[in-house]
Amino acid sequence: MFTGLQNLWQKLFKPPRQLLAFPEVFEHFQELLQDHQQIMEIIADLGEKSGGEYVFDRKYLLDTMNELHSLLLRLVKALNLISENRYVELYAALDRILLPLEAELRGRLTLPEEMPYVVGLKEAPLDLPELVGGKAGALMEISQRLHLPVPDGFVVTTRAYRRFLDHNQLEDRIHSLLADWVAAKLDTVQVSRQIQYALLAGVIPQEVAREIRRAAQGRPFWAVRSSAFGEDGELSFAGLHESLLQVPAAGVLEAVKKVWASLYSPGALSYRREVGLLGEEAAMAVLCQEVIASRASGAVHSLDLEAPESEALVVYAYPGLGRTVMDGRANLDRFVVERRRPFQVKAKNIVIKERYRRVAAGGGEEEAAVDREDRERPTLREEDIKTLAHHSRVLERYFKRPQETEWALDESGQIWILQSRRLASPQPVEVPDICESCSFYPVLIKDQGAVAHAGVGAGPVFIVDSDQNVESFPEGAVLVTRYTAPWLAPVVPRAVAIVAEKGSPAGHLATIAREFRVPTLVGVEKAAALLPPGEDVTVDTHNRVIYQGRVAELLRYELIQSATFEDAPEFRLLRRLLKRIAPLNLTDPQDSNFTPAGCRSVHDVIRFVHEKAVQELMDLPRFLKRFKEARVCTLVSAVPIGLKIWDLGGGVDPEARGNQITVDQIRSLPLQALWAGVTLPGVWSTEPVAVDFRGMMASLTRTVGDGLGAPSYLGVNLAVVTKTYLNLHLKLGYHYNLIDVRMDPDPQHNHIYFRFVGGVTDLTRRSRRARLLAEVLSKYHFKVDIKGDLVLARILHLPPEEMRRRLIALGQLIGFTRQLDMQLKSDEDVGHFLESFVQRLEAAGDSPPQGGKDGTEQVENPYPGR
Amino acid sequence: MAQNKLKILILDDEPIVCKRLKPSLEKQGFEVDTFTRSFEALQAVQHTKYDIIITDLKMEGMDGMRFLQEAKKIHPDSEVIVITGFATMETAKESFKKGVFDFIAKPFNLSEIQRVVMRVEAKIRGTQG
Repeated sequence: MFTGLQNLWQKLFKPPRQLLAFPEVFEHFQELLQDHQQIMEIIADLGEKSGGEYVFDRKYLLDTMNELHSLLLRLVKALNLISENRYVELYAALDRILLPLEAELRGRLTLPEEMPYVVGLKEAPLDLPELVGGKAGALMEISQRLHLPVPDGFVVTTRAYRRFLDHNQLEDRIHSLLADWVAAKLDTVQVSRQIQYALLAGVIPQEVAREIRRAAQGRPFWAVRSSAFGEDGELSFAGLHESLLQVPAAGVLEAVKKVWASLYSPGALSYRREVGLLGEEAAMAVLCQEVIASRASGAVHSLDLEAPESEALVVYAYPGLGRTVMDGRANLDRFVVERRRPFQVKAKNIVIKERYRRVAAGGGEEEAAVDREDRERPTLREEDIKTLAHHSRVLERYFKRPQETEWALDESGQIWILQSRRLASPQPVEVPDICESCSFYPVLIKDQGAVAHAGVGAGPVFIVDSDQNVESFPEGAVLVTRYTAPWLAPVVPRAVAIVAEKGSPAGHLATIAREFRVPTLVGVEKAAALLPPGEDVTVDTHNRVIYQGRVAELLRYELIQSATFEDAPEFRLLRRLLKRIAPLNLTDPQDSNFTPAGCRSVHDVIRFVHEKAVQELMDLPRFLKRFKEARVCTLVSAVPIGLKIWDLGGGVDPEARGNQITVDQIRSLPLQALWAGVTLPGVWSTEPVAVDFRGMMASLTRTVGDGLGAPSYLGVNLAVVTKTYLNLHLKLGYHYNLIDVRMDPDPQHNHIYFRFVGGVTDLTRRSRRARLLAEVLSKYHFKVDIKGDLVLARILHLPPEEMRRRLIALGQLIGFTRQLDMQLKSDEDVGHFLESFVQRLEAAGDSPPQGGKDGTEQVENPYPGR
Repeated sequence: MAQNKLKILILDDEPIVCKRLKPSLEKQGFEVDTFTRSFEALQAVQHTKYDIIITDLKMEGMDGMRFLQEAKKIHPDSEVIVITGFATMETAKESFKKGVFDFIAKPFNLSEIQRVVMRVEAKIRGTQG
């Protein structure tokens, strides 16, 4: 495909013999910005779709990917047009990122070459079940996302399995044997025996064997278990594949082969044929874990399926190793526990224990008699039962289904999670009339806000109003907050639901909520005032309703009846696609990795393209050489930031001579308006300023380029203008402003696009600043998106006088925000500064169009920003 | 809750659409049956009267257009909501001016379809007096 693209590209675009005229370059740059913006929107859109509020099918994903593909090609082409083809390697980067995306869409398992043969359980990347299999994948989520104790270990990946097949040329042989079986030339036992024999006789290639041995060295004994792709997901391969316990380190290689071979046991083969999976490529990862020498072991059912309305969970326990426990349930201790804190034990049934299994002194297992005085004693203490109940509920909350969790208690008293899977219901559960049940509960809030993650959660309301009370947030509460700031992140995994007064489904908090699958509503006005702290509420974000009290019927319905969209193939696919699209790895243009080869996601590519395109335009000396006719002059102004003005026609007084112009020689309407705001008295200073004026001006005009050895273009502030157009790149201190304006008599042609990014302080402060900017801009009816500390604001179709007011305000805002991140020390400051800014605007005779000073009176946007 | 529940039939060959819509509409107080194959849906309408039919347009086998014509023949007062990919939206609107209550473009969000279904319900309850 890469060569194909190159050919296509060469046909479409031969390197120009003569340089493009600047206006043409600028047009390409404009288009590039538009495409960039559109791709940003697609990324945000896909993120929003992964929250469960939308119903979409595979076709939507295909269409969106096609659109993304053509936009990206156009974007890369535009950059190469601007830059005289200095970024041709980007086509290779696109191939590298897009080909696996397309393969994913075609439903093929893709295992990129760089994927490891062996990977540590604690380091392995999440959401790659095709690499580590279902069982290991679930344990990784439990360990890495939920931070529950999981015995350490490593995974021999499906890529190792494929390498093994390759090395022994087994793939074709297996295929033809399977074909014979399907054609009834072989029976199940015969085909199983032949394939298994071939696998067991195979040689593990050196490079794979070396890595397995190295990983296995760490401990004397291992539990070696199957982790097939698809296992423990929608399909249950439970018990079909091999699991070997107490394997000595030297025996791990052989054990791995045995587990691989179990993929073709007669039972596994029949099952795959039955569920129609035979055509798919089977792949087996192998999970090797530390053996817990357990004092006791057992299972927890997060819901008593025999009596789902009893609001109880069940803990099963027995002394010693787990094998006895899993073989037969009849004679285990059974504790029935309330599902709610403090996890009161409602009933216990203690059996008489005669014998148990334990780890033998020289390895392996042995059977032993239970001490006489322990025979009738409960296997677990009350606090262990409570810990298990807690773990069980955390797992259920995350996986959204009743869970059956295997656990072990070691000699030191630590409880370990060995495995957790969906608890299958023995008989169909009766469906309550959910609509009628819910109608008995008072509704506190209805039809407010937007869905960031769909689901239902119930618990006591806890209002977090500053980063001070983040620590005290109780596990299992409903998080209610006025903010969507990054400092809320640690609370998210502990919350059963989130209601935020601000924010968008594409924002930061929404992204984290989806990561931890916490039902979340954002933009619910006055939530903190309407939801009583400490009282139980039930948040149903599917239907955007918040009930007073715990709607037990609804919670049960969700758990048993409702579809969990998170595990639907379309959602899993979208999540995997997003992994290759949304993450931004290239954040620092100064980094040595900031190259086409360093691009690992779609977001990286567009970040790179954008940065380079701006740099190309900012690289004045090169342009000056290329476009002799261009007219560039420096603005002489009371605000000494050395702005270069590039006039494409009608933007500057034709009478102006020399390479300097004064403010009153500006003819460009948008620049005039913006500069009027920038130079208003008092704009640069904020109230009681601790910095003296001179010092502040110095810091204001300091650029990254000074003293840091950065390339000079970063220091250039450039305005490209016509009579009605302005494209302004402004690097002030460490902030980067981009403003793009068209200001025509006809409102239909008009837009303001404002982008603000960067900052020297920590992320929390930068986000505060971003939030403040967003609040001010929304007062002016901009459509504002915040992504971390990046603020994007747009407004369309305003008449010229309305445009002018906003540009003056933007000018003020640019000056004003310069010092902000230094001074926004707490969240209260945000409101404080907002107020002082608005007052200043009023003093200048230009108040925001609507909205009270305290920001509570937000009216609907009469000029929708899109 | 005194009124009888309205019955809804959902037909879409993408199982995810049925899976997501059913619980959402059940919670709104409807009785919901879902189908991913049009001929099975057609069998169902022959012995059950559905007040509301929600169908996709483009499907393998008999397409949604024919299905809803057949269904309307059997029960002319069934109200029909068409869900369809964005690309076919205009064609859908053109060819279904008669008889279809509303159109919803995929991908849609759940509150969107809930609103449309509520409007249909109001209409049906209104005509029943």
